[in-house]
Amino acid sequence: MTPLDRALRDRRVLVVCGPGGVGKTTVSAALALRAAGLGRHVLVCTIDPSRRLATSLGLKTLGDKPRPLPLAKLLPHAKGSCAAMTLDTKRTFDAIVERHAASPEARRRILDNRFYQQISAALSGSHEYMAMEKLLELSRDDRYDLVVLDTPPTRHALDFLEAPDRMLSFLDSSVLRYFLKPYFAAGRLTLKVASRTGALALEIADKALGLQFLGDLSEFFLAFDGMYDGFKVRAAAVFELLRDPSTGFVLVSTPASQSLQESVFFHDRLSVRDMPFVSFVVNRSHLERPRTARRRAAGGSARVTPGLARLLSEIYATDQRLARQERAAIARLATLAKGRLVRLPELESDVHDLKSLAAVAELLAGPANA
Amino acid sequence: MLLEDLLQRRLLLLTGKGGVGKSVVGQAIAVAAAAEGKRVLFVEIDAPDQAEPLLDGFADITTVDLKPQAVMDEYVRRKVRIDLIARRIVESPVYHRFFSAAPGLKELMILGKIVDSVEEKGRWSRRPQFDLVIADLPATGHGLSLLKVPSAASAAIPVGPVGRQARWIQKALRDRQRTGLVVVAIPEEMAVVEALEFDQSARDDVGMVPLAFVLNACHERPMSATQEAEVLRLSRDAAAGALDDGTPIAEALVAARRGLRQARLSRFYERRVRRGVATPLATLPFVAGPIDAAALRMLAGKLAEA
Repeated sequence: MTPLDRALRDRRVLVVCGPGGVGKTTVSAALALRAAGLGRHVLVCTIDPSRRLATSLGLKTLGDKPRPLPLAKLLPHAKGSCAAMTLDTKRTFDAIVERHAASPEARRRILDNRFYQQISAALSGSHEYMAMEKLLELSRDDRYDLVVLDTPPTRHALDFLEAPDRMLSFLDSSVLRYFLKPYFAAGRLTLKVASRTGALALEIADKALGLQFLGDLSEFFLAFDGMYDGFKVRAAAVFELLRDPSTGFVLVSTPASQSLQESVFFHDRLSVRDMPFVSFVVNRSHLERPRTARRRAAGGSARVTPGLARLLSEIYATDQRLARQERAAIARLATLAKGRLVRLPELESDVHDLKSLAAVAELLAGPANA
Repeated sequence: MLLEDLLQRRLLLLTGKGGVGKSVVGQAIAVAAAAEGKRVLFVEIDAPDQAEPLLDGFADITTVDLKPQAVMDEYVRRKVRIDLIARRIVESPVYHRFFSAAPGLKELMILGKIVDSVEEKGRWSRRPQFDLVIADLPATGHGLSLLKVPSAASAAIPVGPVGRQARWIQKALRDRQRTGLVVVAIPEEMAVVEALEFDQSARDDVGMVPLAFVLNACHERPMSATQEAEVLRLSRDAAAGALDDGTPIAEALVAARRGLRQARLSRFYERRVRRGVATPLATLPFVAGPIDAAALRMLAGKLAEA
């Protein structure tokens, strides 16, 4: 059994990371199917606002409620199950406010706040943070024994790990509060303030943003007051969850050098943070032909038209050249991986339905070559 | 035709799903523009450090990589003017906790900087420094968020300078004479679906009408129809063994079928995009191996033919 399969059998959370465009969503969905085949009850969650998972699962729309996939035909003997969902950033944020607001009045004040309405919608940064919140919630849902989380397409794969810190430091109103509170509490906005730095900061804020905005902002932070601690507690819980041995990170890339470098970098960051790495997946690889097979092929031949024979030789030579180039490119990754690396071949058909996804799930078994 | 349309603009924004080669398409447009005698600024946003300096060899193309934090700091310095105070702000914890973490604020500054660079004057000149600014926006999901920021910000902050800045940016983005949005995809299901969604969403949510659609990395048909029929027949007969030069037939057939499939998909998605959007479409060929300056020139040539 490969390290990846062991993780699919044993872990409770798998986080699938990688730069945009490497096929993360497809790999996540395939991992989920494979785990279902191993008897797990899996939920796969994508955060991408473009709803790509829906496409790869052959479902027209995929809501923010888990929807079971029809696996009976595909995996008739599987004891497991697989459900899929997509994350709605704004709805998740609203639900958190509804659940954790100090009072119905505070809840309404936050939900109606203009500033809140803008930050909770699709502004970048919120996606990553809400993915973390959702992961925490889903990991506690006992209908599923494995959650596979597809992560947002970030320019830098690492942005995802840093989102909770950034969001918390934004919501940490303690610094803001000390210079915003007096104005709001006084019932009007003035520029009088006790501390000189505070006055200065406020003056700048006013210059840059305008008093109206500061009003919205201070109201937001006042209403949020009782909730910040909850955010902090949950962020700490997410951090713990991500470091838990029952969690695992799968790093997806393509054989392109930039994408491989991101994976190496991400791997380093994981070990610095003490977060459990499971496997690299190098998607869209050209695979080399094993030597033994090469010997076997010699002799005996079908009749091939000379023109086509030349063309076939060329096509095959190009294919093998790419395979060798890629092998050299992933050497660094292979050393780090110590066997925990799966190369997925460039496929003969496009993956956008359950059947082709199941074929990818098969391929995840290997070749696990170092 | 399409290139001519692109080059009449002052600002081009490139967007698409990650991995579709947005940067390459943007660089090819830059090379094509420079060949027409234009002075070009190519803008990247927080590019990976390892990015290849492909455009260095082109005299009329300047490249810049905008780092969000630096752009934000510069904005404060410019607004405040007094050095000492500006430094105190940029170094203060309030600034770091709020201004640099506030969702959307950095994006607004980045867009402001891009729009601003269109009119940037040379040191001793009254004429703008660049004829054309080409900006490579972050991948689609985020790219659209980025373009939504000005309207979100002007709704959140209706008054004051940031609100004004947001409205000014929005106006510049919607000015079809000056600004063009270029949507990039590759012939794959997800990239195309996403690009079509983006095209719609840009119209509905941002009020921008995309100027061009580029289908990148299209595969040409690797062989004639007769040869294709032979490949399929050989595959059906499970042809095995080796060719005279030792090439294993079965494996070569797999690679050949993959090539045929890629060409078929390229044609299929080209038709699908043509049916799906009214936006003018250009296709660019797949480049095997790493992109170099020669490849960029070739792609620029293809754009001129489109």
